[in-house]
Amino acid sequence: MSAVVSATVSPLLSLRFALRELRGGLRGFYVFIACIALGVTAIAGVGSLAGSLADGLAREGRVILGGDLQFTLIHREIGSDERAFMESRGRVAQTGTMRAMARAEDGNAGLVEIKAVDKAYPLYGEVKLDPVMPLADALAQKDGVFGAAADPALLARLNIAPGAKLIVGNATIEIRASLTTEPDKLAGGIVFGPRLLVSDAALRATGLIQPGSLVRWHYDLRLNDTNASDAVTKQVATQAREQFPQAGWTVRTRSNASPALERNIERFTQFLTIVGLTALLVGGVGVANAVKSHLDRKRDAIATMKAVGATGGRIFVTYLVQVLLLAAIGSVIGLALGAVLPFAVTGFFGAIIPLPIVPSIQPSSLLLAFVYGLLTAVAFALWPLGRARDIPVGALFRDNVAPQPALPRKIYIVATVVAVATLTALAVLLAYDRKVALIYVGCAAGVFLLLRLVAIGLMASARHAPRAKSTELRMAIANIHRRGALTPTIVLSLGLGLALLVTVIEIDSNLHRQFTAALPEKAPAFYFLDIPSNDSERFDAFVQKLAPDAKLEEVPMLRGRIVSANGVAAENLKAKPDAAWVLQSDRGLTYTEDVPQGSRVVAGEWWGKNYDGPPVVSFEQRIADGLGLKIGDAVVVNVLGRNITATISNLRKVDWESLGINFVMVFPPSVFRGAPHTRMATLTYPGGSTPAQEGTVIRAAAEAFPAITTVRVKDALEAIGALVTNLVLGIRAASGVTLLAAALVLGGALAAGHRHRVYDAVILKTLGATRRRLLTAYVIEYALIGGATAVFGMLAGSLAAWLIVTDLMNLDFAWQPMPALLATLGAVVVIVALGLAGTFSALGQKPAPVLRNL
Amino acid sequence: MKDNTSAAISLAGVNLSLGHDAARVHILKDIDLDIKRGETIGLVGPSGSGKSTLLMVMAGLERPDNGSVTVAGNDLATLDEDDLARFRGRNVGIVFQSFHLIPTMNALENVAVPLELAGVADANGRAARELAAVGLGERMQHYPAELSGGEQQRVALARALAPNPSILVADEPTGNLDEATGRQIIELLFAAHRERETTLVLVTHDAALAARCGRVVRLRSGRIETT
Repeated sequence: MSAVVSATVSPLLSLRFALRELRGGLRGFYVFIACIALGVTAIAGVGSLAGSLADGLAREGRVILGGDLQFTLIHREIGSDERAFMESRGRVAQTGTMRAMARAEDGNAGLVEIKAVDKAYPLYGEVKLDPVMPLADALAQKDGVFGAAADPALLARLNIAPGAKLIVGNATIEIRASLTTEPDKLAGGIVFGPRLLVSDAALRATGLIQPGSLVRWHYDLRLNDTNASDAVTKQVATQAREQFPQAGWTVRTRSNASPALERNIERFTQFLTIVGLTALLVGGVGVANAVKSHLDRKRDAIATMKAVGATGGRIFVTYLVQVLLLAAIGSVIGLALGAVLPFAVTGFFGAIIPLPIVPSIQPSSLLLAFVYGLLTAVAFALWPLGRARDIPVGALFRDNVAPQPALPRKIYIVATVVAVATLTALAVLLAYDRKVALIYVGCAAGVFLLLRLVAIGLMASARHAPRAKSTELRMAIANIHRRGALTPTIVLSLGLGLALLVTVIEIDSNLHRQFTAALPEKAPAFYFLDIPSNDSERFDAFVQKLAPDAKLEEVPMLRGRIVSANGVAAENLKAKPDAAWVLQSDRGLTYTEDVPQGSRVVAGEWWGKNYDGPPVVSFEQRIADGLGLKIGDAVVVNVLGRNITATISNLRKVDWESLGINFVMVFPPSVFRGAPHTRMATLTYPGGSTPAQEGTVIRAAAEAFPAITTVRVKDALEAIGALVTNLVLGIRAASGVTLLAAALVLGGALAAGHRHRVYDAVILKTLGATRRRLLTAYVIEYALIGGATAVFGMLAGSLAAWLIVTDLMNLDFAWQPMPALLATLGAVVVIVALGLAGTFSALGQKPAPVLRNL
Repeated sequence: MKDNTSAAISLAGVNLSLGHDAARVHILKDIDLDIKRGETIGLVGPSGSGKSTLLMVMAGLERPDNGSVTVAGNDLATLDEDDLARFRGRNVGIVFQSFHLIPTMNALENVAVPLELAGVADANGRAARELAAVGLGERMQHYPAELSGGEQQRVALARALAPNPSILVADEPTGNLDEATGRQIIELLFAAHRERETTLVLVTHDAALAARCGRVVRLRSGRIETT
């Protein structure tokens, strides 16, 4: 050969070939690109938004926290040595928070979350009032009456306006302004009542601060050095813990201003990322379909390339490069949309979102979404690409060549497995809760496999079905099982989409039923908190007289914080996500001689009556598991500033859904003998309560016992219900992306089959089939495939919802047949309609022009 | 034993069946054939006699069930699929009845493909010269859809000749063309054979065309009837 041959073929040759192939435009790849773009948008958007929120939380950390550091104590205020420690390092603001009942002049009463501040408050940020006035003026005592600023929600609930007076405990408080901005509100977490901002003196004047009453004292510290680094701040926290090991306080720094919120954001982000991944997975099916039909179209070109010297490897690399280019286009579109999301959210909804979102480009989130996009495309494309490698050149000479093997070569099977494993590993390793992520991956793999089996079963049943008398039915059945039938693709995309839809619908309706429908009959109507021990008999008598038919149950209650377990400090304990909340702040605890109602001992022995041995404690089983604790382990709990070391003697299972009083930790009475505490009670009406009964109790109790907080269970559930509704909204939005991807895949699959449809229709028309006949056959075909898949989708979706609701959410599950059936019916209608939409044009084709081009 | 050293193509005891089970058809039966370097061969026979299949075996596109195939000194049985592809790229130029140009590439790029695959440094320059040689110097940037059938076949011929193969095989190269255009293509094929001393194997139904070849190999029912 006389040619000057370079040592190696340029590695860019495949790129050059790939680009030449794409010159004809992106037709045939729109579904591919849209599928990748959708999934990447979801993942990039969620990541960018969460990142922007985390940035906001970090930047506004000291405002959200209220200081560079915050020390929180329950029940007691700091001592002079502790105050001296803080003041030697900066300015200190003291705030006290507690729940209380506020009674309006017309007798209406409502739960409020009191926040009593001193003159130094706020150390960072600004309190905004309406009408505008200095905070000191709003809270000052004038003519013997203390002032207050109230959350507009309180004004609305009690139907009052600024100027109105409220009675809280023993004090009369005048509302002087509504509280429009409370700078450190976020750090407080979820509260059940609206805020009532008063002065420190006003709180003391209410007389609600009694030994054992549930008041939290927060000490915000603004360091003298305003430029102090996070390291310096953390150092102060460490010094505080070291100098006052018995203080029993929770110390937070500005870099960790709202750990609960951050954890929730992280958790929700991971959840939405998983939903985004589902969109990508569904989209992956679209990618595989698009690549397969593209390669089908390119069969001749591939064979020609091989005829003139291209190796199978070269063919593979050329088309892989093409897939990567297309995936990159889809991913870049997705990245652009995802990156814009935080800007769009703050632009459109900034004013109503109570979160400090600082919109910014989040390179790491975008990179991750990009990697997910490319990996998904590669994972789904490797299989058809591997098969393209073996397209026989003989195809150029005659149609009847040996058929391609059903499986690609081993190396491509291995490569597909590696790509899927990488995708899985990435999703699991980056997940907040790896167990949930693993379950998700298992379920996704299971659903893919099952849908494949459904398709195989459906095709096999069609193949072996008895010969139908009706020609249309025979044609439809033949279409279901013939080679190259759309059955596997339709089953996969429709099945995935419908399973997801039914899952979301069932979760949604179960949550709604749980939080908005009528309460279970055994559920109490009220909780009464902070009942002073010495007043409990009088309170019992009062309630029995007020509601003679109702049942009042009372237990002692204290607050305590887990300091350490088995010698490991609480902050260093490795808790599972569903148990970590127990360590986050103080928890209610009780003591009793008998096993509490609504719980049963599942391991260990309950202490007997008159137990007087060393301190022991009973733990709720799931929480103990989550904290890695077992019977015999030692737990240190700080109660009323005293560290108590108790041994776990037994584990209980608790029926939380009864909404009765129950506690994670229960002690024998001897442990708290003589300790000041309050009591907590539930009031249950047999057969439920009426609004009138509830109104009477709230008013009367607030008047007779101003220090006792009354919580209507319905209000508490509504507060949770509102939160759940927001979560469900987020889930719905993210699932919508997945459904859109499923619809795209379905549409793409039907479009890909269009060429075959036209061919079939023309041949059949040539042979005498009327359009009506063809149409009937198509309707039967799509209805059969759609129907079989829909039944599977409904079952799979219901099963998934049942698992999530019972196992992850620990709630009762009741299957809601109507929404699931409607979704299923809708899916069948959609598939028949989509299928026919694509087929109508096939029916209209005149045979001659098509036949000429065959 | 035959002496394969001077033969461009040597087939001995070649059998080939296609299809499975009941549909299996014995297409080539005990084919022995030697084609010398620089020879021109016309493969003729009725439809289904195995002409195209024999051509595919010679080009390394189909593997026989048994027998040996040696082309340009290479025992094709020892080559795996990728080696065969490289072997074709270097030694065999193929012209199809249906042209089989790549629709997304223009004429120049179509001709450059085998050169690029072989790692030739000046692939485009050589492709341009080949196109000029078949009279398409002015149409290099045109895509297949913009060319007539005759022009497409000329591009296909330029593509087959571009790597300077020692063997040129053509499967009914005029089958899709009118008579006048077909004649032009045949002239080009024979000119290439003369100028480059390539071995030329033609499958054809055209008796006149076959008569122009140095030797005619007639097939019937998968066997060589006369050579």
